[in-house]
Amino acid sequence: MDLTRRGFLALTAAAGAGAALGGCGSATPVASTGPVLSGAYTGPPVTIQYWNGFTGGDGPAMRQLVDDFNASQDLITVRMNVVQWAQYYQRVIAAVHAGKGPDVGAMHVEQLATQAARQTITPIEEVVTEIGLDETQYPADVWEAGMYNGSRYGIPFDVHSLGSYANNALLERAGITAQATTGDELEEQLAAMVEAGLEAPPFWMPNRWPSHLMFLSLLWQFGGEPYAEDGSAATFDSDAGVQALTWMASQVDKGFSPPNVAPDSQYTAFKNNEVAYTWDGIWQINDLQATELDWSLAPVPTIGTEPAVWANSHQLVMFKSRQPDDNKLMAGKAFVQFLTENSAAWAAAGMIPARSDARETPEFRDSPQAAVAEAIPSMRFLPTVAAVGEVQAQTLETAVGEAILGIADPAAALAEQAERATALMVGNLRKFER
Amino acid sequence: MSETGLRTATGAGAAAGDADQVKAEPRAPSTAGNNNRDGWLFMAPYLVLFGVFVILPTLFGLWISLHDYDYTLAEKPFVGLDNFTGLLSGDSPFATPFWDGMQATAIFTLGSVPLLLVLPLLVAMAMNLKFRGRNFFRAMYFAPYVLGVAVIAVLWRYLLDTNIGLVNHYLDLVGLSAVTPWLTQLPWAWISLIGVTIWWTLGFNTVIYLAALQDISPELYEAAKMDGATAMQRFTNVTLPGLRPVLLFVTSVTIIASVNMFGQAYLMTQGGPGQETRTAIYQIAETGLTSFNSGVASAMSLIFSVFLSAVSLAVFFLFRERTPNRSKQTALTNQKGGAA
Amino acid sequence: MSSTVTRTSTTRTSGAQATTSRGSSRRGLLYVLLVVLTLLFISPLIYMLSTSFKTTADAAATTPQWIPSDPTGQAYDAILNTDGTPVVRWFLNSLAAATLQTLLILVTAAMAGYALARIDFRGKKIVFAVIIATLFIPPVILLIPNYLIVGRLGWLDSLLAVVVPGAAGAFGVFFLRQFFLGLPVELEEAAAIDGATRWRTFLKIILPLSRPALVTLALLSFLTNWNDFLWPVYVLFSPENQTLPAGLSTLQNANAVRYDLLMAGAVIASAPVLLLYLAAQRYVVEGVGRAGLKG
Repeated sequence: MDLTRRGFLALTAAAGAGAALGGCGSATPVASTGPVLSGAYTGPPVTIQYWNGFTGGDGPAMRQLVDDFNASQDLITVRMNVVQWAQYYQRVIAAVHAGKGPDVGAMHVEQLATQAARQTITPIEEVVTEIGLDETQYPADVWEAGMYNGSRYGIPFDVHSLGSYANNALLERAGITAQATTGDELEEQLAAMVEAGLEAPPFWMPNRWPSHLMFLSLLWQFGGEPYAEDGSAATFDSDAGVQALTWMASQVDKGFSPPNVAPDSQYTAFKNNEVAYTWDGIWQINDLQATELDWSLAPVPTIGTEPAVWANSHQLVMFKSRQPDDNKLMAGKAFVQFLTENSAAWAAAGMIPARSDARETPEFRDSPQAAVAEAIPSMRFLPTVAAVGEVQAQTLETAVGEAILGIADPAAALAEQAERATALMVGNLRKFER
Repeated sequence: MSETGLRTATGAGAAAGDADQVKAEPRAPSTAGNNNRDGWLFMAPYLVLFGVFVILPTLFGLWISLHDYDYTLAEKPFVGLDNFTGLLSGDSPFATPFWDGMQATAIFTLGSVPLLLVLPLLVAMAMNLKFRGRNFFRAMYFAPYVLGVAVIAVLWRYLLDTNIGLVNHYLDLVGLSAVTPWLTQLPWAWISLIGVTIWWTLGFNTVIYLAALQDISPELYEAAKMDGATAMQRFTNVTLPGLRPVLLFVTSVTIIASVNMFGQAYLMTQGGPGQETRTAIYQIAETGLTSFNSGVASAMSLIFSVFLSAVSLAVFFLFRERTPNRSKQTALTNQKGGAA
Repeated sequence: MSSTVTRTSTTRTSGAQATTSRGSSRRGLLYVLLVVLTLLFISPLIYMLSTSFKTTADAAATTPQWIPSDPTGQAYDAILNTDGTPVVRWFLNSLAAATLQTLLILVTAAMAGYALARIDFRGKKIVFAVIIATLFIPPVILLIPNYLIVGRLGWLDSLLAVVVPGAAGAFGVFFLRQFFLGLPVELEEAAAIDGATRWRTFLKIILPLSRPALVTLALLSFLTNWNDFLWPVYVLFSPENQTLPAGLSTLQNANAVRYDLLMAGAVIASAPVLLLYLAAQRYVVEGVGRAGLKG
């Protein structure tokens, strides 16, 4: 046998190329919701994967719901995988395209557009009727937010927003009995607390999470919008934006916040009974209730000209798959149905259930987040633009961080990043419209 | 530090040292045809791996860089050299973060490499002195190196925590600031990243230096002493030339490891504050795999490689064999009976 | 450099610099210096171990404790029993990946290295040149294309992704080729005269002689794979399939401020390597030294 060099090289190259480009299974995930689900699931025993990002105080409540579902019947086993939100969205796209994606998931509403554009989630209009939901059961904004390009991709599960947490004991030391509701009141209270000689500054300004959420809330309060509805431009560098960011940065200058707050430390310090005020999501409620802190929760004060607060909604979605399995699809729908019907229990996570009747229960009315639920009419959501989350992470978050750290002037930082964001958004529009 | 470092450095050494190899390849008594068959059969398993995971991706990467490539979308249109021109001219929205990343890599490399070349040498020289227990100390200094970057970074993130970290606690005890933001503010973030990297990999360079130092024949030092050479002169004329064989290797490996830094930034500072400590590799991985802009990221990696090649060539020239001196040194070494 | 294979640097008892009689106080100073350095290198690891046995509150206390005031195994308990952080799986995955890749490297690199060193076949120079050339390709160039290739093969999120692609590096081939070149040719010529085939010569004569080099390569490859971080972070997503470094990253993301958990995870990730190191440190350290000299 006399293999020539060329022959062998050709063989190796061909083998390599074939192996690489062959692959197995369909390359693109396929949309499907499977056969109609009427009543309970009656197929063979099946295990489905459920991914979400509930790593914080909301985690145990979701785990409880999953355990309850698994215990309530013997055919379906739901396995939950929790990936921190910051990595979740990229991971789930990679997983679905790798053929290793989950079946059901929870995700934030502004990500639906991105995930749909990237072919990972499936339109679920039929599922809504199959599991017995309709729009009258939900606030209009929240219901509409699950749509993208004319199709429904998400079923609203909850609404959650920023709230203002206050340390009652520290407030009392300055003679304050109720949380501020306007910017002026807040300023007075903070000054009073500094006067009263509290050991730590009263209102720590983060430069990472959730500082961009605070910025968005204030931007809306000052009458601005972060992005054009059609996704063609970033508008967070408007006057409203500059006012919002300047106010945030000024908290450091006025001595209400230390400079260079390390990530998460504003929340840890609040939890450790050191800080009087902090803005954070209502999802922290459970974590705080586990401490001995004497705290209260109220809607964020109106610093700007109109009340507004950043809000988001967790939506339930179903994923595409390279090889759709009818049984798993049916089981997924059954699980989604269970979750929507038991969403009142989700209030135990500190969330506000999206379903109106779930918010009318006595348990909910007694919960801390009921105070924030009053602000539902002023809750604002990001527009459903594909990849807006990625763009925001690369631009708006940077601008906010730099201004608060004092590295850049608010107007300049916002202008620079808004220009980049617009370029990215224009590119994305082109990309996703193909 | 990784296999990649060893690989590329070995390549440098290969090109440099190959000239020394005695080219006495044996003529096997079997026929040329048998040789061909045997040769290719022995190479085959490796070549399959090599073809699929080195050659193919290199070509594929070039191809991707010429497209607007997003693997989650159906279409990946050809864009020619737009990815490159966009990055080089600054027009692309990815240009600023990329060049910021290159700058971050440069800062880290310039900050860490000199220290990683000099400090281990000092330690190795100390360890080369006559005393008992050398192996024990050598084992201790090398120990952190066997732990991966994940363990190191998670551990040091804790030790450098502003409020509860061990480092700030001890600094406070000696009267220095108790709240240095080691990981959240510049320039501390760089100092932390560089410091931790030195702690982690100093042992590796020390061990190599030590091996080379121990190879230097003691008679050379005695001869130099008898000639009246001072300690400094002994260092310059005996130690340094004796280290030449490993200097190229150590320098290459260290530079390559620094230039490829990713884990420490990813785990300790998350590229922060802002994105100041986001190195080029970090940016490329994020752009190509987290944000799915694989075309741009491939172009970034090619531009990065050009820079790296330039640096490698410079190092190579710095340490190339300047033949006249070296043969004198080799002759001297051989004469004194030391092993070459 | 030299081609003597069996020399170990620790047989040298003399240091390079002769010491004089004032050396004893100098030596004392030296010992102090070396001990201080040792503490600097080892104490963080001790603190890591100690923290892994603290309560959550103690681990986050503003006054660090070297010895836990209330030692408890709760952190280990929590880690080992949480669904989302299957540390034992991570450990087994790492072990499997490192072992398999090491074997793959040893087999392919030994065969290829031998061919390049001893067999005269057509096209050899070109093949060798190409392989050497790739030593200069920075791995980042291959990151994204390999990710896509591995995805097409269906290997993402599986053991294959962390075993196979990494074995294609040229270092092993080059290292072993250098070593084989240094072996005396007479042995093979004698075997050939006796009628042994290439393969038998390789298997029965060359390989046994190459044990030091093979052991060095094995240790280096195992260590490299065990500690590999960038690649596994991107190609492994499900918790059950991650290796220890990627898993540690997940652990940190999910428990940013629970340092007791993080330290327990770090201990679990480092204990096996440290034990292996303590047992085999002579091989590892000397192997590295030798690699440096020969490079």
